[in-house]
Amino acid sequence: MTPRRWLFTSLVLLAALALAACAAPAAVAPEAAPAEEGAPAFPPGKMVVFDYGQPQYWQQFFENYLEDNPDVAPGVTVEMVQTEGEADARQKVILSYTAGAYDELPDAVASAPVSMKAMAEGGILMDVTEYVESFEDRFVDGALDQLYYKGSIWCLPKDLRPQLLFYNNDIFEQYGIDPAEMSTFEGYVEVGRKLKEASNGEVFLSYIDPGAYTWRYWGRRGLMPQAEARIWDDEGNVVIDTDPGTQLALGTLESLYSEGLLYSTTMFQPPLYDATREGKIATYYIGAFWDEFLRQNVPDMEGKWRVMSAPVFEEIGLGGAPVVGMQCLIDKPNPVYADLYKLIWEDYHFNAAAREKWTNQMVEQNAPYSNPIARELLEDEFWKEPEPFYGGQSFREMEGKGLENPSQNLRVTEKDAEADQIISAEIEKWVAGSQTMDEAIANMGQQLRDRIGQAPTE
Amino acid sequence: MARRNFTPGRLAAYIVLIVWCILAIFPIFWMASTSFKPVTEGFGGLGSLLPQNPTLNNYVAVSRLLPLARNILNSVTVATVGTILTVFLCSLAGMAFAKYEFPGKNALFFLLLATMMVPPEAGVVPVFAIMRALGWINNLLSLIIPTAATAIGIFYMRQYISGFPNEVMEQARLDGCGEFRIYWQIVVPVVAPALAAWASIAFIARWNDFFWPLIFMRSKEMFTLMVAISTLPVSEGLSTPWPVIMAGTTISVLPLFVIYFLLQGYQKEGLALGAVRG
Amino acid sequence: MPSSGLLQRIWRARTIYLFISPFFILFAIFQFFPLVWSFYMSFHEWNGLGPMEPIGLQNYRFLLRDEVFHTALGNTVIYWLANGLLILPLALLLANFLAMPHLAGRRLMRSVMFLPYVTATVAVGLIFNMIFDFNSGLVNSLLNAVGLPSVPWLTSVEISKLPVIFLNVWRLTPWYTLILLSGLQGMNPELHEAATVDGAGPVQRFFSITIPVLMPILFFCFITLTIDSFRIFTEPYILTQGGPGNSSLSIVQYLYLNGFRIFKLGLASAIGYALTFILLIVSAAQIVLLLRQSGLTEVN
Repeated sequence: MTPRRWLFTSLVLLAALALAACAAPAAVAPEAAPAEEGAPAFPPGKMVVFDYGQPQYWQQFFENYLEDNPDVAPGVTVEMVQTEGEADARQKVILSYTAGAYDELPDAVASAPVSMKAMAEGGILMDVTEYVESFEDRFVDGALDQLYYKGSIWCLPKDLRPQLLFYNNDIFEQYGIDPAEMSTFEGYVEVGRKLKEASNGEVFLSYIDPGAYTWRYWGRRGLMPQAEARIWDDEGNVVIDTDPGTQLALGTLESLYSEGLLYSTTMFQPPLYDATREGKIATYYIGAFWDEFLRQNVPDMEGKWRVMSAPVFEEIGLGGAPVVGMQCLIDKPNPVYADLYKLIWEDYHFNAAAREKWTNQMVEQNAPYSNPIARELLEDEFWKEPEPFYGGQSFREMEGKGLENPSQNLRVTEKDAEADQIISAEIEKWVAGSQTMDEAIANMGQQLRDRIGQAPTE
Repeated sequence: MARRNFTPGRLAAYIVLIVWCILAIFPIFWMASTSFKPVTEGFGGLGSLLPQNPTLNNYVAVSRLLPLARNILNSVTVATVGTILTVFLCSLAGMAFAKYEFPGKNALFFLLLATMMVPPEAGVVPVFAIMRALGWINNLLSLIIPTAATAIGIFYMRQYISGFPNEVMEQARLDGCGEFRIYWQIVVPVVAPALAAWASIAFIARWNDFFWPLIFMRSKEMFTLMVAISTLPVSEGLSTPWPVIMAGTTISVLPLFVIYFLLQGYQKEGLALGAVRG
Repeated sequence: MPSSGLLQRIWRARTIYLFISPFFILFAIFQFFPLVWSFYMSFHEWNGLGPMEPIGLQNYRFLLRDEVFHTALGNTVIYWLANGLLILPLALLLANFLAMPHLAGRRLMRSVMFLPYVTATVAVGLIFNMIFDFNSGLVNSLLNAVGLPSVPWLTSVEISKLPVIFLNVWRLTPWYTLILLSGLQGMNPELHEAATVDGAGPVQRFFSITIPVLMPILFFCFITLTIDSFRIFTEPYILTQGGPGNSSLSIVQYLYLNGFRIFKLGLASAIGYALTFILLIVSAAQIVLLLRQSGLTEVN
């Protein structure tokens, strides 16, 4: 036989294999397991949490708890499974779930609004509405806002981080500019212009990333909520291209960039830190996370940086939209450690001594930590301690101030991860100079309608 | 043997090779150099190629973040066992496809080629279900067994062994050798360069893979070195400084470089096949 | 042919079937079911958690009119052509030089030239990002030093594929060099010596002896490079994440985004099958062309 004929044969074979697939059985539905009545509170074993970021530090709090409360759950250990991020954690849950491996599902998973909603919809998460709402009065305002899906709460809040503006005080002193001018975006842009002129273009107001981070941080997290912009209306229709808030938000970004006030380089990468160290970057908008990045990557700049609340749009007057950290309990057949997780969670939020002990451990290791969200803890002077990295200013106190007067986050639907990809592609083309911002906004609307159509409403 | 002097051809060879070597080593040199820099030192631009105040702190930091010894042990196990298995099974199957006639040979071979064209990423969910059914989640077997015989390895071995003279095998058969003895005693020694080449490639592929280990391994003790390192990099809430990550990647390259350097001992050119033919 | 004769032939070749059986057993266990499953998936809409919705050919129809998929396909074809034109000739050249007898420092050079393939991708991604950075990158510094303007390597829609191609050539050439070198090492040196005695120059020897003898390995390289190029993922993923604006996105990256980031598992499967289909056609065409070219009747 000729090779060609064999090739044909094998193609046919492959097609036949594929057709046989149509008869493949669908995934097996989960079986309900009998509840164990009267069993010991927490049987010895391992509580498993899928987390991302640096879970080894979060794990330390759990270990502290088990050590300090040896009678609660003797013989129980905690394992944090490191995943790459929100999507990866969700994927690992999906894999165990579809493989029918309910016993291998973790006890809890770290998440974020898009994945939380998808997992809640999929019936994987435990409804914790009543439990969490019973603590609502003791939390700062807005702590539970992003946890709702279809009227219920599906995750326990871990932290609530504000949007802040970090600035290099040395630069402001050198050019005699008052940082207070940056309390509005109008002033912020003006400060950028002054810096550019005074430094002969050496100093940039901030940075812009050629990839997806520009939409994520300047757009979705930052300017868009502050300008009360919308991607979808309440019925799930695409309104991003007609919404006046979008014009305000992205128009501001356009002025910053087109006037050459933003240093173009990849976020989180060495060239940006080098430029920071050389005094070329005056401010970082937004995200409390810049605290860890600056400490970790430019520790030699200690004393130069300061923090203030994010600028506001004059006509709107709202501060940054806070970002919630959430961990969701898995609704598995026999969730033996769900209540233990809740106990530790309560300890984390309301036990001042335990929280301070852990925070001090974090400080010692130069590890990330965030402010409490329980009011009673925040009153403690501990959360107002000055820090040398900020020249004696208290970052912790500023983190609390940053939560005042918040704007609402953009409404997040299950489709928003996809929407982010679509919108970001248009923003990236604008950053690359191959379309104007007006074109980018128009294309966003068109692409969103074309590819997603309507976002689900809850 | 007359030692040839410098001809223009040899000069060109040296120039091309040296230029390529510089291009090849430069980024890696930069990586290694960065791993010795304190976090406070800038590292963009040509001026900062060498650390001004070299330090081992990044190595200390990375060993604190990861159970390095355990991760390296996992990587070594997976790569070594996997490589030995795959070189053995691929060369055996490669010989079968190159040197024997049997019913269905061409169909099976084209099926084998066709499997190379399917992107495995699309089937992650069922592969996971299979691994779980086998009880291989969080078990190094899930990284060793599926790639124990690969289409590409068999394809390579087949192409290489097809140049092997039939007469020698015929002769051996007349001498009463079984097929496996022909493989083991006659084919293997002669195709040693190919086995060594494929062994280095297979070893590196297993060492550097982090896609599958990230899916199958569930605890940091079972992570291979590459997975452990690939979970370090930077995103929001995760600010491992780059010099620390570079320390991790430098640790990961070193064993490979040494192994490759050693494996080359088996790649003496032309020796075996020429000898047989001669 | 009577079936008893066929059975007999099969029985006689039982050892040989045993030799090739490991691959097919592993294929049956680990690849066949996933293949079938993802084919089934490709006619569904599913996010991994809720119920699967059968939607017929909709995923495939979507791909036919999906601009992003077309961009990714176009980019991938460019990567493939660039790889074919750059990697194989370069690898052949390097392998030939490295195979030269009495080459000083050969063992070291071979180890060094193989380094790019060895290095962890996360390190490579970082270093290449620094090399191609617009403001402080090495490449632009060199361009400026000879009086040329800076080029927005990673930040321009038009040229973002170039650094990806550079990275790809840098990372893959060693692999092909090693394969070709192993082929050269298997050659009978007497062939060259005989030709030298006959008065053939090095270039002539290369085309009349090296290439034909190397043909089976070259054939392997052609097919593998095509498959590798169409399945390119790592390079754009670590360097540009497919951006800006999808301008360097590859097909497998698009599959990955759909399957692992926005959990459109049905669409991801359809992309996988579309890619397999394209690859089968391209490879089949290549096989036929190569066979005709080399005048061989067997895939040698």
